Amino acid sequence: MGRTIVVTAGKGGVGKTTVTANVGAMLAKLGKSTVVMDMDIGLRNLDVVMGLENRVVYNIMDVIENHCKIQQALVRDKHLENLFLLPASQIHNKEDVDIDKVVDIVNSLEGNFDYVLLDSPAGIEKGFESSVSPAKEALIVVTPDVSSVRDADRVVGIIESKGIFSISLVINRYDLNLVNKNKMLNFESIIDILGIDAIGVIPEDKSVIETTNRGEILVNYMPGSPAAKEFSLIARRIEGETIPIKIEEPRNFFGQIFKRGMQ
Amino acid sequence: MNIFRKNDPASRVAEERLKLILIQDRLLLSPQDFESLKKEILKVLSKYFDIEEASIKINLERTKEKSVFEAIVPVVSVKKGK
Repeated sequence: MGRTIVVTAGKGGVGKTTVTANVGAMLAKLGKSTVVMDMDIGLRNLDVVMGLENRVVYNIMDVIENHCKIQQALVRDKHLENLFLLPASQIHNKEDVDIDKVVDIVNSLEGNFDYVLLDSPAGIEKGFESSVSPAKEALIVVTPDVSSVRDADRVVGIIESKGIFSISLVINRYDLNLVNKNKMLNFESIIDILGIDAIGVIPEDKSVIETTNRGEILVNYMPGSPAAKEFSLIARRIEGETIPIKIEEPRNFFGQIFKRGMQ
Repeated sequence: MNIFRKNDPASRVAEERLKLILIQDRLLLSPQDFESLKKEILKVLSKYFDIEEASIKINLERTKEKSVFEAIVPVVSVKKGK
């Protein structure tokens, strides 16, 4: 049986979709067959972040409404043969989703894949519930700012009330320069305030925007970038390895140029 | 309520603000209710102790197992006759 993990957050724009795509791709690179599911019905994005938008034929609503089989709706990644996307529908609303049917789809995927990652929509409305219900584990993406941490706390409460107790934080867009100047919350205080352990702290990394614009997943396209390295560690921690969180000092300007030359 | 000084580092201010916001969120209390909760706790405790009202700290901490309501109230002295 595969593991189903929902990637969620209280606030929008903190990087759920980026985290889903990159952690999914890293798990696939570790040899695990993985499906990433876009649960943001009506506002789909995961296909674009993975650069698969031109290959989408069917979507999750087609599966729910019996227009196709699950296998027909799965889109294989461009580079990783054991990574698949189950796209969201763009023409439906979140209210159209039958939660029981989503649970059935996830159960059936669990029988065939090692991991099912659910990219949840922002907020705590209906779409949130249908992405949380099938999962037994949750990654909560949070950025080091007051509103994101506050909203994450709400989400933790709701997720726990749904019976998910395996919850980890992914602290995204962490800027060590700002933290060192005491201008940004450090990751230890976020862990402390929320009472939830972190499975990874992803450094602010401009490569994320560049690769997303190209329709490539960061860990595929720039595996040496600081954020990609941390995504790799997150996948290994999900797999059960004990790797302590260590924040790397950002490289200087010349280091960046040198690294880009190597790509 | 804490008044944040301008020279406090932003990270520290964020932390203190979050702690207060989360207590209210977790308890589903409005700021007014939170203040009156604080007042009532003080009222009960003042019957038995002389306390330092200015430095009272209230916190609702969540651990993996449970939520813990914590009030730190510095006691100056125990009232006599009790």
